[in-house]
Amino acid sequence: MLIPTSETDAAYIVRDALSQGKRLAACGGGTRAGFGNGVEAAELFSSRGLSGIVDYDPAEMVMTARAGTPLAEIEAALAQNRQMLAFEPMDHRGIMGVRAVPAGEPTIGGVFAANVSGPRRFVAGAARDSLLGVRFVNGRGEVIKAGGRVMKNVTGLDLVKLLAGSFGTLGFLTEVTFKVLPVPQAVETLVISGLSDEAAAKAMATALSLPVEVSGAAHLPYTVRHCFIDGRLPEGEATVLRLEGLAPSVEVRAGKLAAVMEAFGPVSRLAGEDSRILWQEIRDVVPYADGTQKPLWRVSVAPSAGHQLVAALRLEAGIDAFYDWQGGLIWMRMEAEPEAELLRRYIRALGGGHATLVRASDPVRAQTAAFEPQPDAVALLSARVKQKLDPAGIFSPGRMVDR
Amino acid sequence: MSQAIEFLVPRESVLSRRAAIIADLADLLPPECLVHEPRGLAPFETDAFISYRRVPLAVALPRTTTQVAAVLKYCNRYDIPVVPRGAGTSLSGGAIPQEDAVVLCLSKMTRILEVDYANRAATLQAGVTNLSISEAVGIDGFFYAPDPSSQLACTIGGNIGMNSGGAHCLKYGVTTNNLLGVKLVLIDGTVIDLGGKHLDAAGYDLLGLVCGSEGQLGVVTEATVRLIAKPEGVRPVLFGFETCEEAGACVTDIIAAGIIPVAIEFMDKAAIEICEAFAKAGYPLDVGALLIVEVEGSEAEMDAMLASIVEIAGRHGVKTVRQCQSATEAALIWKGRKSAFGATGRIADYICMDGTVPLGKLSYVLNRTSEIVESFGLRVANVFHAGDGNMHPLILFNANDPIEAANAEAAGNEILKLCVEAGGCLTGEHGVGIEKRDLMRYQYSQADLAQQMEVRAAFDEKWLLNPSKVFPLDGRA
Amino acid sequence: MQTSFTPEQLADPQIAESEKILRRCVHCGFCTATCPTYVTLGNELDSPRGRIYLIKEMLENDRPADEETVTHIDRCLSCLSCVSTCPSGVDYMHLVDHARAHIEKTYRRPLSDRLIRSLLAKILPYPARFRTALTLARLGRPLVPLFGRVPALAPLAAMLALVPKAAGRRASRSVPETPGTGSQKRGRVAILSGCAQSVLDPGINAATHRLLARFGVEVVVAPGEGCCGALVHHMGREDEALEFARRNVDAWIGEMDTNGLDAIIVTASGCGTTIKDYGRMLRLDPLYAEKAGRVSALARDISEYLSTLDLPVLEPRRLSVAYHSACSLQHGQKITTLPKNLLKAAGFTVREPAEGHLCCGSAGTYNILQPEISGQLKARKVRNIEATKADVIAAGNIGCMTQIASGTAIPILHTVELLDWAYGGPEPVKLAKG
Repeated sequence: MLIPTSETDAAYIVRDALSQGKRLAACGGGTRAGFGNGVEAAELFSSRGLSGIVDYDPAEMVMTARAGTPLAEIEAALAQNRQMLAFEPMDHRGIMGVRAVPAGEPTIGGVFAANVSGPRRFVAGAARDSLLGVRFVNGRGEVIKAGGRVMKNVTGLDLVKLLAGSFGTLGFLTEVTFKVLPVPQAVETLVISGLSDEAAAKAMATALSLPVEVSGAAHLPYTVRHCFIDGRLPEGEATVLRLEGLAPSVEVRAGKLAAVMEAFGPVSRLAGEDSRILWQEIRDVVPYADGTQKPLWRVSVAPSAGHQLVAALRLEAGIDAFYDWQGGLIWMRMEAEPEAELLRRYIRALGGGHATLVRASDPVRAQTAAFEPQPDAVALLSARVKQKLDPAGIFSPGRMVDR
Repeated sequence: MSQAIEFLVPRESVLSRRAAIIADLADLLPPECLVHEPRGLAPFETDAFISYRRVPLAVALPRTTTQVAAVLKYCNRYDIPVVPRGAGTSLSGGAIPQEDAVVLCLSKMTRILEVDYANRAATLQAGVTNLSISEAVGIDGFFYAPDPSSQLACTIGGNIGMNSGGAHCLKYGVTTNNLLGVKLVLIDGTVIDLGGKHLDAAGYDLLGLVCGSEGQLGVVTEATVRLIAKPEGVRPVLFGFETCEEAGACVTDIIAAGIIPVAIEFMDKAAIEICEAFAKAGYPLDVGALLIVEVEGSEAEMDAMLASIVEIAGRHGVKTVRQCQSATEAALIWKGRKSAFGATGRIADYICMDGTVPLGKLSYVLNRTSEIVESFGLRVANVFHAGDGNMHPLILFNANDPIEAANAEAAGNEILKLCVEAGGCLTGEHGVGIEKRDLMRYQYSQADLAQQMEVRAAFDEKWLLNPSKVFPLDGRA
Repeated sequence: MQTSFTPEQLADPQIAESEKILRRCVHCGFCTATCPTYVTLGNELDSPRGRIYLIKEMLENDRPADEETVTHIDRCLSCLSCVSTCPSGVDYMHLVDHARAHIEKTYRRPLSDRLIRSLLAKILPYPARFRTALTLARLGRPLVPLFGRVPALAPLAAMLALVPKAAGRRASRSVPETPGTGSQKRGRVAILSGCAQSVLDPGINAATHRLLARFGVEVVVAPGEGCCGALVHHMGREDEALEFARRNVDAWIGEMDTNGLDAIIVTASGCGTTIKDYGRMLRLDPLYAEKAGRVSALARDISEYLSTLDLPVLEPRRLSVAYHSACSLQHGQKITTLPKNLLKAAGFTVREPAEGHLCCGSAGTYNILQPEISGQLKARKVRNIEATKADVIAAGNIGCMTQIASGTAIPILHTVELLDWAYGGPEPVKLAKG
């Protein structure tokens, strides 16, 4: 494993690899190493040697950190100032199980490279929406800066967005600058019990159409409900809605929301700590942190299509699923085969979206495209973009393209 | 007309074939969708960055994506530059044509194609104006968040081109944070769909790349945007201060206290007077600087938030605090603010800067800005989005005086360099366009720029799309 | 924005004024959004900003108007929505007036266009001629489809289609109630009897007479007054327009200087906008400048005058009114809330149609000269009005009333007719029918 300790070092490694025709597989702590398609014959190239917060002015709500800085360190620094990452990056170690490199720690660079976002994503944006600027080494071994450290910046092409979620295939991140938000003073969760997936979709859509600023909307069917907060959720399926903000405001909004939600089913409330733990567990997909290698899909569709997709698939395959993002994000565990064809056919039929295989056994991974195959014109364009950043194709070749 | 910024030399190969090109375009478009008479072309020669003007070869006003694709495919085949245009409200010259270009103006594509409340999304043709989205869904309790001051007129296609912001971005983000998908026509006429009602990209975030690409990667003909439930209540409150420093420091402290109002807008004395003259919104005229702070939510929430803000403002010697009493009053307050640039036309010509600086540097940059403008013998009015550090100094001058015009441009350049030196950027929401193109080197190294240009070329290898913009003309690959 | 006029050009007061107007425009483009023709056609050339550019170019180069320029200026409704929108305060109204006069002087229109325009100019401003023409037109109505098929005759078809089916109500030109019944005399006003409105709907002024009389206001018609000149003014026929203006100024000044007037009441807001502009129209005429200014200063829309009378607030009644804001009222005279407040005080439920700022397409003779665009605007207006599900439509301008009535079954009345009814007058015929 190559572990540069400075940006210059990283650039040198890339140029060296380039001259020797070597291929590099960028990573941070390696906790998401199982992502994507397999990369052949590449040396691991980790940012963990580039660590430390470079600049953090809480008053400006902006932080700059080296890419390999452990997420825990960042979150601790933020917590000291009652601030947080708005996009709630999930910790993949639970679901990846044995795959996680035992010593590895999630890094901030890894979070952005994989565009990892949690429950608040559907209202507050993804990791990419918080990312203001990056420094990276491109495939020529040049250090490139994109974006900056101010909230609003439209100077030039937005390479920042491109790098976010590129899984290290376009460049090696060395530094990231991102915005942060104050931690909400209070949090409360409303639980509506006993709803079918379809009814839950309606309830969540209704909740999101109300002026109560719901910041989390998930539906936990009966197969997974018991996995959360040590089974303390009320009996039956749980449709959970999160409210955050100033305490008096949350109280008022919760009342309003509950009044409307009662038409759908019995409403109970979850306060303080339980509420926080619940959303962290939803974020980290605890029901499928099951120590298995059963294929696990992360499916993104229009919120109203989520339950239809699950219902259709249930008729043809053994699956278990729960919903986040108002029903638009489905975590789907296949009991046997990955059923990629079937899943992707239904996604297309229901208006489009994408399915990413985040976990599977090696043989399954070898046969299944991890990312949603793109239409030819888009795939071609993506390949051209990759070629412009990494002309020799040294960064994780094959990771994001369908083989 | 100003001359400092150069355009690409028109291609003789295009100019000499003018008649044939127009005849060909006439085959691709219905007669009312093509402008080619010299008289009719003149009004398309500029946008809201009026110091620079170039009469285009022709103007295409397509009604459909198919027509857009046909025009692009044709232009690509014959190496004819294309300048996309929405409502022509760009303050950075993003839609200014060039003599050898076909302007592709999407102002006839104004249909709202679908409103989908269950998925909180609306799909629109690119020529739909920003405000009309909120107007269409407002009755059902929703709105579209980004609200550039020109929202009455500017189109969603143009917003995507510039990744437009607005006053309320402090809470809701800019265009890129509210854009779910686009239908994009590539220069070769290929039509692709990026994104949709689902979130995040399946592969590379091309949608994020296209947003803010100033019409250089393709032409957006349709967009799917995120709708948000309207808050229960909104309350803009006016805070008047003696000095700009006090107002600036107050902004910094509000944010530092972890309070994020929906908007914090700043006006200096000159701007207050200009806006009040137009909108009669009741801005206090006896103060040196004014903050419009808008909070939203339930009564309880607004009260709580306002109490904290009033307390902070008190520490900075706030002189007047005025809460508005009715929706009409609130609307007037915003009308005045959003008309600020145009209203400036009552007293002078102006150019509007758009640099963004870190909040801590706000007061310093404000002071330096005044010094710079005064050193050129000109006046400045400041009206901007203070909450995110996005400044809009308006440099006032007389366009009929060539020396003043040149000085205004020079002062503007100095201010933008200052913003970059202060750790900010050249443009927060108006785009680089033609205006800031030659200043790009102050913000980016040659390698940074080269990388951007290469990515650009992945979409438009021959540099036909809006080619005079964004990237300095020298040093292009 | 930058202009390039020579000092010689600027010596012409018209050019000097237009130059000042042009200098204010900063090309921000806000006006495009609220311009009915831009919203309909989506072409910069059919927007105020585009037209300003065309006019600037034409005036700067001091060249005769050409077909392209005329086409787009002709499409302007003069609704002045852009003036309400413009943050910079560009006086588009007087700029386009100047352009129209320039076109009339320097451009030779095709024969059919000339004929129809001169026909309109010779008939509409003269009530007797107009009444005869209406009778003939009713006979000619069957020819509409025929004319409609020949492009040059489209205006003729449009004109015939607009003719009201029933005769202009010979409204009981009932003797106005004696002023001061039950109350003391509160004022003395002249009312514009004007031209087309007196033929198309004499009931409007009759209602005004009754209502004002009831509240103690003496209403007179100054001898010699007639068409305000707006119709020909908007066609660029400046000399004719000024003649009409002078004649009315003479009539009203005569009345002011003999018996005294508190106001000159106008019930057709299109006319009101022009009369309020007499002072400016005649500013270069040394004999009339001052007198015209006095007339303009005294001109009031009926809703403005009524608002000064403090009419009593009445019990709510079960009738919803969609208030159509005539462009000449809301944009031309900046009167937006007064008529609605009057209707509300009189007990009506007032509903405001969406896109209230957009013109209905009537715009003087526009619906005759530009039938296609006018038709699209009418359809859009009617759609918005009908969406309010109101029982009746109120408007303050006869042009809008005729235009909208030709597109909907909902009865449309002048605001003052509803007010007269509410305050004790007879039930309007159009309502009684329903």
